[in-house]
Amino acid sequence: MKPSARDWALVFPAQALLTVLLFVPSLYVFWLSLTRSTYGQSPVWVGLANYATVLSDPYFWTATLNTAIVVNAVVFGEFLLALAVAMLFAGWIPWRRVMIAVVLAPYAISEVVAVVIFKYMTEPYAGPVTLALKAIGLPTLDWAVEPSHGLAMVILLSIWHHLPFTFILLYTALLGIPRELYEAAQVDGAGAWRKFCYITVPLLVPAMLVALVFRYIFAFRIFSEVWLLTGGGPARTTEVLAVYLYRQAFRYSDFGAAAATGWLMLIASLLMGSWTIWQMYRRMFAHGQT
Amino acid sequence: MARRRRPFNARNVRRALAHALRMLALAAVLLWSGFPILLVVWSSLRQPRDIFAGGGNLLALTTRNYVNLWQRWPDFFHNLVNSLVIALSATALTLVVSFLAGYVYSRRDGRLLTASAFFMILVRLLPPIVITLPLFPAVNWLLLNDTRTVLVILYCAFFLSLGTWIMKAFVDQLPRELEEAAAIDGAGLWQTLRLIVLPLSYAGLIATSVFIMVFAWNDFLFAFIFTAVDAKTAPLVISEMVGAIDGVDWGILFAAATLQLVPILVFVILVQKYLIAGLTAGTVKG
Repeated sequence: MKPSARDWALVFPAQALLTVLLFVPSLYVFWLSLTRSTYGQSPVWVGLANYATVLSDPYFWTATLNTAIVVNAVVFGEFLLALAVAMLFAGWIPWRRVMIAVVLAPYAISEVVAVVIFKYMTEPYAGPVTLALKAIGLPTLDWAVEPSHGLAMVILLSIWHHLPFTFILLYTALLGIPRELYEAAQVDGAGAWRKFCYITVPLLVPAMLVALVFRYIFAFRIFSEVWLLTGGGPARTTEVLAVYLYRQAFRYSDFGAAAATGWLMLIASLLMGSWTIWQMYRRMFAHGQT
Repeated sequence: MARRRRPFNARNVRRALAHALRMLALAAVLLWSGFPILLVVWSSLRQPRDIFAGGGNLLALTTRNYVNLWQRWPDFFHNLVNSLVIALSATALTLVVSFLAGYVYSRRDGRLLTASAFFMILVRLLPPIVITLPLFPAVNWLLLNDTRTVLVILYCAFFLSLGTWIMKAFVDQLPRELEEAAAIDGAGLWQTLRLIVLPLSYAGLIATSVFIMVFAWNDFLFAFIFTAVDAKTAPLVISEMVGAIDGVDWGILFAAATLQLVPILVFVILVQKYLIAGLTAGTVKG
């Protein structure tokens, strides 16, 4: 049924909020990226100069590299862990509801509290994890001093924090696989590994792709974890793109460069989401024409 | 379940071994997910001097840290109230807006409507930090800086797209016949929505509210940029406690963290079922 004027009125609040608060500002950011501006000064048109500045800034490339490392490590580390946990939960486990509640618990925790927890656990003198690592003779995490350890902490924290999301998507998809397929494979004499490769994985691919794409887009935004854990330091070595942007805008008041960074981030986000977006586009408009 | 004694042979030994390994893996998962949270709650109840003693008396519990928190950071309770008011308002606003839009996207079609739905998904790709850049001066100009209102509206804007999608997925499952019958009985659109569709979509409403509630209650980024004194939320103040110049008082920090995390954790556990349903509706069925 075609929407009437009254139907449009029902959609209006949602569309208006999105347009005013997200769409128009993002266009404004594009315009801002083509101008030079700071507090109390009206913007001056500078063309692509801000993009040139940002792209020739070594800190931008450090931030880009760090973001690439963190995002890939988080998304794939989390994916493999979530897949393993989902497989475990698809079989028999005691007190299922309680167990799932425990796995979901990190979802309820704020980034700030997660950072507090991880800082405490790896505190260099008395943190429980530091003590445990020392007890079994492993090196400890010097995240405040050693940039690679700082990034490793961010990665571990993010995986811990977002495991519930990926777990739920894979777990529900696993439960949706018909049991008969496994039974038929059993009759044909397939072992556990072959069942995994020829039944589980192919049928899980759609859910896997959704989980990966969503996590890529969200992990790419990472700000609070880095900001609260290392602040981008020592000496700006652990900055990610969102932290770089924040620093440009709110510390150095260089809104043009920050806006250029923002648009580069936006384009990267669109590219990461382009595959799902294209799929949705096709599905939605195919439906719309019937 | 009564257990038969199984004969002791290679097959049964292997099965028992596999079972033991699975339970070991389960224990590891529980430790990974649950231990850090338990550690905070438990540490908040320990003697301040025991927290870093690497042992101490493990069961000597006290409310000292909470009393210290009350005395040293009296404003923290005001900040918790801010968080609560903001989270509830953002949730209410998002529910209304998403319900109305989700209904239309479920029941009507047409090229323009599809295009507007596509636009909704597209803006979900925007990284929030990019938006803070132009909004910061705009919010100042509107004198909305450091108010609860600005956070409520922003949280709603970032989650209404997901909310609309979840609501659409849930309304899709309702039979249209009920609405058609109501129309024959002379009910208008508004009555149909209020008396028929709304009560039947409670699962979708709860699912939507989980996401927005958790986000609004926990958010750091927007609170960090758009609040200064009055509208500060609990996570922001906890981050200030971490960065306190006179050294971190871990006892107080754990007490504050516990007060911040327990309510939302209980909420998430209570609505676990809806969270799972909402997540699949908001992503896979998109």
